[in-house]
Formats: sequence, C-alpha cells, structure tokens
Amino acid sequence: MSAAGIVVAGLRKRYGAVLALDGMSFSVRPGVVTGFVGPNGAGKSTTMRVILGLDAVDEGTALINGKPYRGLRRPLNHVGSLLDAAALHPGRTGRAHLLWLARSQGLAARRVDHVIELVGLASVARRRAGGYSLGMRQRLGIAAALLGDPSVVMLDEPFNGMDPDGIVWMRGFLRSLAAQGRAVLVSSHLMSEMQDTAGHLVVAGRGRAIADAAVADLIAAASGDRVAVRTPAVPHARSVLTYAGATVASTRENDGITVSGLPADRIVTLLGRSGVPFSEVSAHRATLEDAYLELTREAVEFRAVTPTEVSR
Amino acid sequence: MTAALHAEWTKLRTVAGPLWLLLGAIAATVALSAATASVVTCGSAGCGGDTARLSLIGVQLGQAPVAVLAVLVIGGEYGTGMIRTTLTATPRRVTALTAKAVTLTGVVVAAGTVAVLGSLLAGRLILPARGFTDAHGHPALSLADGPTLRAAAGSILYLALIALLSLGVATILRDSATGIGVVLGLLYLFPVLAQVIGDPHWQRLVQRAGPGAGLAVQATTGVRGLPIGPWAGLGVTAGWAAAALVAAALFLHNRDA
Amino acid sequence: MSLQALHAEWTKFRTVPGWVTGMVAAALLVVLFALLAGVSSDQKGAPPVPAGPGGEPVTDSFYFVHRPLSGNGAITVSVSALTSSIPTGPADLRPGLVPWAKAGLIIKDGTRQGSPYAAIMVTGGHGVRMQDGYVNDTSGPSGPVSVGSPRWLRLERSGDTITGYASADGAHWTKVGAARVRGLGPTAQAGLFVASPPSVHGMSTRGSVSTAVFADLRGEGRWAGDGWTGGQVGPESPTFAGYPQNTSGSFTGSDGRLTVTGAGDIAPAVRETLPTGGTVGEILTGTFAALIAVIVVGALFVTTEYRTNLIHVTLAAGPGRIRILMAKAIVLGAVTFGTGLAGAVAAIPLGEGLARANGVYIFPVASSTELRVVVGVAALLAAASVLALSIGTIVRHGAGAVTAVIVAVVLPYILMAIPFMPVRVSTWLARVTPAAAFAVQQTLVEHHQVASIYKPSNGYYPLGPWAGLAVLAGYAAVSLAVAAVLLHRRDA
Repeated sequence: MSAAGIVVAGLRKRYGAVLALDGMSFSVRPGVVTGFVGPNGAGKSTTMRVILGLDAVDEGTALINGKPYRGLRRPLNHVGSLLDAAALHPGRTGRAHLLWLARSQGLAARRVDHVIELVGLASVARRRAGGYSLGMRQRLGIAAALLGDPSVVMLDEPFNGMDPDGIVWMRGFLRSLAAQGRAVLVSSHLMSEMQDTAGHLVVAGRGRAIADAAVADLIAAASGDRVAVRTPAVPHARSVLTYAGATVASTRENDGITVSGLPADRIVTLLGRSGVPFSEVSAHRATLEDAYLELTREAVEFRAVTPTEVSR
Repeated sequence: MTAALHAEWTKLRTVAGPLWLLLGAIAATVALSAATASVVTCGSAGCGGDTARLSLIGVQLGQAPVAVLAVLVIGGEYGTGMIRTTLTATPRRVTALTAKAVTLTGVVVAAGTVAVLGSLLAGRLILPARGFTDAHGHPALSLADGPTLRAAAGSILYLALIALLSLGVATILRDSATGIGVVLGLLYLFPVLAQVIGDPHWQRLVQRAGPGAGLAVQATTGVRGLPIGPWAGLGVTAGWAAAALVAAALFLHNRDA
Repeated sequence: MSLQALHAEWTKFRTVPGWVTGMVAAALLVVLFALLAGVSSDQKGAPPVPAGPGGEPVTDSFYFVHRPLSGNGAITVSVSALTSSIPTGPADLRPGLVPWAKAGLIIKDGTRQGSPYAAIMVTGGHGVRMQDGYVNDTSGPSGPVSVGSPRWLRLERSGDTITGYASADGAHWTKVGAARVRGLGPTAQAGLFVASPPSVHGMSTRGSVSTAVFADLRGEGRWAGDGWTGGQVGPESPTFAGYPQNTSGSFTGSDGRLTVTGAGDIAPAVRETLPTGGTVGEILTGTFAALIAVIVVGALFVTTEYRTNLIHVTLAAGPGRIRILMAKAIVLGAVTFGTGLAGAVAAIPLGEGLARANGVYIFPVASSTELRVVVGVAALLAAASVLALSIGTIVRHGAGAVTAVIVAVVLPYILMAIPFMPVRVSTWLARVTPAAAFAVQQTLVEHHQVASIYKPSNGYYPLGPWAGLAVLAGYAAVSLAVAAVLLHRRDA
C-alpha cells in the first residue's frame, strides 16, 4: 500500500511577492515518526495547512492515504491534526470542544472520554478551556487529533509550552503512535527532541525539502569518519598515523588531534604497536543539530547577526 | 451534513453566549414592545395606528442581539483561529457554512417565536387600557386575524433572515466587531438615509432597498400606502440575506482559511 | 498624562491600516451623505420662500381686506365671531377650534410677502395678541369672542411706531403693545385680515379655514382709494398650506357688518410649514454612518488588545493602567474629532451648494450657528468613540461593545422617527438617551405662536445643542470612569 501516509508532491504557492512553497515534495510513511524541521519561513506551516485543505496551492498535490484532504469523508477518521493549540473558544469546556468535533464526524461521546483519558486531561476536561495552560491546550489538541483514531497524525510544534514531564510524555506518546502503525508528521524547532523521537526527518528550506532521510543516516553523514584522539605525545602520534595514510588535524586542546581516514580500532592498534601513549580514542558523533545547521546554512532567511559581524 | 449540523448544534449549546443572546433578544423585543404599547395613547379623534405593528416594534431592538449571535457564530471562530479546526473537521466549506446557517435559523426561529408571541400578548393586554378598544375600531390582537398572523409569522422570518445576513457579512469580513458594525449600519442607516432624501421617488426606493424593508411585513393596516408591500418587503430582506450568504460561500470556498 | 503614553497609543493607532481606513471612511461618509442630500431633491422652479426682515423664512399668506393709508392714522373695528373649520375627510368640513386662527387689524408695507407689518388680532384660543415682524408676539386680554361679548381692536400709526389697543366695549381701551416697524413706507396698506394656520392632529396637520364677523370699521387719517379691496396674500407661497377643498377666501359686507373668510398665517415658518426645506442638520445626516464607523474603531482600539493579549504588553510597558486608558481615550477622541471636523467642514458647503443649485430651500443659519454645528458634530463623534472605547474596556468583547453603543446611540433616533411615536416619548428619548447629542445639529427654533409638530425627527430637540451633547459626553465620562476602575481592579 504505497499510498498510505502523506504524499506531498511539487507544492508551489506564492503570496504576493513571497514564494512560500517552491516545489515542496516529501512523503510520510506509516510506522515511523517523521520530523518536519526547518528555519522560520521555510514553509512548514503552509505545507501543513495545504495538506489539511486549508490553503490552496498554485501547483502540486498533497494526498492523504491516496486522496486529497477535501475528498475525505469524515476526515478526522483518516488524519488527526493539531495546528494551533490556542484556537479554542475560551468559554467552552475542553470536553465540549472535543464533543463538537466528535459530532462533526459522527463519533460517539464515548470516544471523547477515551481520548481525554489518553492524554491525561480527565481532571480538567470539564473546566473552561480559557483557563488552560499552554501545555494543557497542547494535550487537548492531541486529544482532538486522536479523536477519529486516524492512521495519519500531523502535529505542528507539539512540544511548545510543555513542561519537562510533558516533553517526556509527548516523546513516548509520539513513538507509541508510530509503533501502532500510524504515519506521524511532527514539526518542531527542537532538534534534540527530534533526535530522540523521530526516525525520519524532512528538512525544509526556502519552500522546498532540502533533505528527506532517516535520522541515523543524517547523523552519520554529518559525523563523517573522524576519530578524536587524546595523547600527551601529539607529534609522535601525528607521524605514526600520517605514515599509516590518515589525515590528522589539530584541535583546540594541546593534547588532542582529529584523525580521518582510519577507523578507531585500527588507530588503537597502530598507536599501541608504536608505543604512543593515549588516554582516549573515540569516534566523533555529530548531533542532529549539527546536521541540521549544516543543511540549512544556505536556507536560513532570518539568521541572527553574530557578534563579529556586528563589530565589523 | 447531519454530522456537521450536529457539531454546530453542539458548539452552540456548549457555550453560554448564544443562550444569553437569545434570551436577550426575547427580553429586548418584548420589553420595547410593551414599553411602547404603554406610552401610546388613542386620542378622541381616533387612533389611526397599526396596533399589530406597534406591538411588534420591539423587533427593531431584538434584531440587534440576534445579529450579534449570528456574527459571533463565525466571527468568534475567526477571532480564535478555531475556524481552521472547523474546516479541518468539515472540509466541504459550503457544507460547514450551511450547517451554521441551518442551526442558526433553527434557534433564531425558536427564540423569535417566543419574542413575537410575547410582544403580541403584551400588546393585547396593554393596548385596550390605552384607548385602543373595539369601540375605537381596534379589536384585541389575535392570531386568528389574517394580517396579524402575517405580521407575527413575518417578524419571525425577518429575524431569521437578519441572522442569515449577519452570518454572511461576518463570514466575508472575518471579524466580529466590524461585521456587527456593518450589519447594524445596513439595518439602521437606510431609514435614516430615506429621511434625508428629498426626492419622493428616490426616497421610496431607499425605503424599499434596505435590508430593514422586511419590517413592512408587520403592517396590518394601510398596506397600500406603504413604500413596499409586506411580503415584498420581506423578499427584499431575503434577497440581502441570500446575497450575503452566496458571497460568503464564494469567499469561504476560494479563500485560504 | 505622560507624553510617552500618548505617543505610544498614537503610534499604535496610526499603524493599523484598518483603523485609519475606518476613520477616513467616517469622514467620507459624512461628505457622501451630504452629496446625496444635495442631489436627491429637485425643486428647480419652485416659488421662492418668503423671507422676513431678518432673512428668516416666514409664512405670509392670509386674506387681506385693505385700503392705502398715507402717513399717520388709525383704524378701529369690532370682532363678534371667529369660527374655524377643519376637514376630516375629502369634502367633509367640520367646525373645530384652531387656537392660532387670527382675525383683526393689520398695517403692512404692502401686499408683498415678507414685507414689514404690525397687527392686532383676536385668536381662536389665545385671546387678543399684538404681533409684528413675524416673530414678535405680545398677549392682550384673554378669552374668546362671541356675539354677546365682542372685542374692539384699534391700531394707530405714528411715524414708524404702531400701537395696538383692545377694548371690551369700544369706549374703554387697553394698550396691548407698541412696535417700531422698520421699513414701513409713507403709504401703507391697512385693513382687516383673517388667517387660519393648519390644525395639528397628533402626528399630522390639516389645512383649516376661518371666518370672522367684523363691525364698526372706522378709519382716521388720509385714506386713499375708493373702498376696500379683498384678496389673498401669497396664494402660491410654498409656506402656505392652501385652502381646504371647496373653500376659498372672501369678504362680504351688509348693514355695516363685514364677514371675512381666510386661511394661512402671518408667522415664522417652521419645519412643518416648509416640508421641502432642508436644514444643515439634514445635510450632516452622514454623521450616523460616521458614528457607526468610529464606534467600531473605538471599540476595536481596546478589544483587539484583549483578544491578542497585547494588553499585557501594553500594561507592562506603560506607567499605569488608568493613564494608559486615558491616553487611549485622548488619542482616539482627538483623532475622531479631527475626522468629524474635516468631514463636516467639507460636507456643509458641498451639500448646501448642491441643494441650492437644485432649488432646495435651506433654512438659513448664522455663521456662528454653522460653526457650532460643525464643532458639535466633531465632538459628538469623538464622545461616541470614547464611549465605545470605554464600553469595550468594560466588556472586553468587540462585537458586544459595538452593538451596545450603536444600539444606545442610533436606536433611540430610529424610535424617535417612527411616525406614531408620541411627541412625549420621542422628546423623552431625546433627553435621556445618548441620542440626545444629535441636538447639537439642530438649527431650527420652536415658536410658541405657531402650532406645529415639534419633535426631534423634525429637527426640534427638547435640549439645547450643548446640553444635548453633554448628555452623550456624560455617558462617555461615566463609562470611562467605570472602565478605569475595572481596569485598575481587574486582572488584565
């Protein structure tokens, strides 16, 4: 079933002089959490609104389980979404908010209580939503997204406003949704959260997907094959390793070098055989943040000016 | 459609605002009607008034809370951004708007019926004491009288049409406060404008053209002398409501949410 | 009031395009309605409206039985009956009381409408009166006349002073009044007259006709001509309601008794006598439309901050909550005042010019009155916008505030204009509701000697212009105070 999940192809949209989407294409597969990241203005929210049929595109298609959103009957049974947790009538209770949504899909009230339980809002569900904290609103939004037990879940910045407990909960929750076989698309600014949560990542920049890959591959690509070596005999080590065909670079520390071209176990063998003392040999591992910054360096629209640029 | 209707009905009944506005519309209508009935006097030379119309004058005030309710039904969602949730749940936008229109019409007709019957009852009880008696050619108000029944039913329909007009205007403008300003402007400015226009031909045209022309349906006497006939007047209001709703549907359908 | 707070609020105001548009729209609506009022009526070729000595419009239509009188002289007569008839339907004339039906003596510069005069008369319900210059009215002995108790009247001319006397027996005279009549030529027309103004019935008027029986007519001084000439003065005047169907003016004499029938009035014109005329207030009808625009902007100026929670930023940035509210009120009030002023200043000459070009008579006003109307309209809009701001602060809901203020200001006016609304109720509404402020547009004055329908929708307000405006300003001030207290006490 290749059509399962979300397939976005060649989205193009212009707001006046601004090209918001410029050929955005990616797909979200079932069974994995797909992170959707990118700098501000990269087109993440627009893409999500397009997927939900809220905004029209000039070109391209966005399909959910093979159908455009507006063609879905009872859409919340196919895709659950959270765009703006603050979009609530402050005078309505959380439960009533879910109730009208359930009614719009012909769902039973029973389902409302079930999702309230699921997101841990049972104690406040009968209070006015106007009094909810941002974290509570996020949970209510997640509950709304799960109301129709959809096969596709799409959440915009679900970690916003969550306390540490909430973040831990959300992380596990998203993974469990994917483990149940759902396609999950989550946009976020928090790379650390994506590193721990997402299995796949779509990086948006200037209205298109500039990367669409597994998180592990992205990190490996950013890490390269570099190995960090810590030794009191830097010159000796350098000559031994260069002789073995590696490229050696100094680091900021006096007792450290970075080696590329040789795997770590080979370096340990070589140094040991030559009697070079060393305190550490470790494969360098990039973070997702490193990978992201590398990828989006070109695409950032609102990059902050660094202190050196200011002084110049 | 049934599901969308069910959702809109759930939305209406799960916040306090709509109920209060409907109760306010009833109270305002009956109160102004009763107050007016208790200040008019029937002179010795004859009364010359239209007692049914007089008893239903409160609709002039009661239409304001009805318009507010109708504007908030969609304007409130634009204010919070919840309109996106609504359109995500019901992606067929015309269906979403129709569901709102139908629900709104239902509650306004219900409240309007109470308000109109209350006003007529107040008139029936108060007016005889003010000299509007059978002897002066003013029999007690009764729904068995054809024109009075027309005035009553027409007033209820009028309120429903004002609600639909307001819904349409608010959908187009996407802002509650501006929406209600425009609706009340349309309702109240046409009669004021008619006063200032000197040319009788243009004056009658303006009196016929406004969305408030539907109040002509309240007339039970001197119908021939009115700028516009009872049902024709209501037809003008219906035209405004229909135009606003069609424009709203087009905007809603073609615009990014 | 700190300047920073004012500057901040002004910056906020001018940087929201919708609000600036709203204000511009308000000014344009004032002008647009003035243009509509100006072009919508075509009365080219209508007979001119007679004007009194001060240029004010007058009614000067009556049945006049006259002879030229050169230089000083006097005229005396007795009146033994004054009866009036009012139509109740087509060709159905019934006897009735017309309180300001007039029969008596008049010395007038000529039969030209609007010419100077002085007169003494018996009236249908207000006893003997001495009147001159169309607006001056002095009361004499009261009570009606009848065959059993006739009333003798005497008018003496000495230079340009005319003195009126009344008597119950023709022997003992009481001076009623003396008038200096400017512009009275050496030869005047003097004689008997009968006038009968329209009779007021609830919300409508009906033209009436009256007949008086005179006797003992005696002239002193140099009278020219041979005998009395009878005729209607100003029969085609726009301020004359005309004779009821199948009636006309006449005079017949026999056995020293003269019976004179006439209709019309010698009096200042009021709105009801000149329904085709326009007023400055009507040219500014666009004030209503502008009102709605400034109410929307005024309410949004604060409620938008509540909706977006910008109010927290504002309150955190500002020196004190009450000062911020005052800064908002001052900025909004000043902007609205300027908008209203610009709109009215442009609207009045445009509307007046177009109306005059179309032959529409505009009730004349002194330039000081016109200035008052312009400033008053600007102040009315400013007060309404501050009221909307205050209500918006109190209810923190845009649509609610807009509705409340529009209903409070505009609905009373609509109710006042409903035809069967009793004058008592509409004047009450014009006293206590915020709609009282529309009094600031009034340019017409009530005349006690003219029975008419003096109600707000005709341009007659129970309160003076500034007093009416003060009612709205009072509502705005009280609401602003309540808003300040709530803003201070309430959690933001």
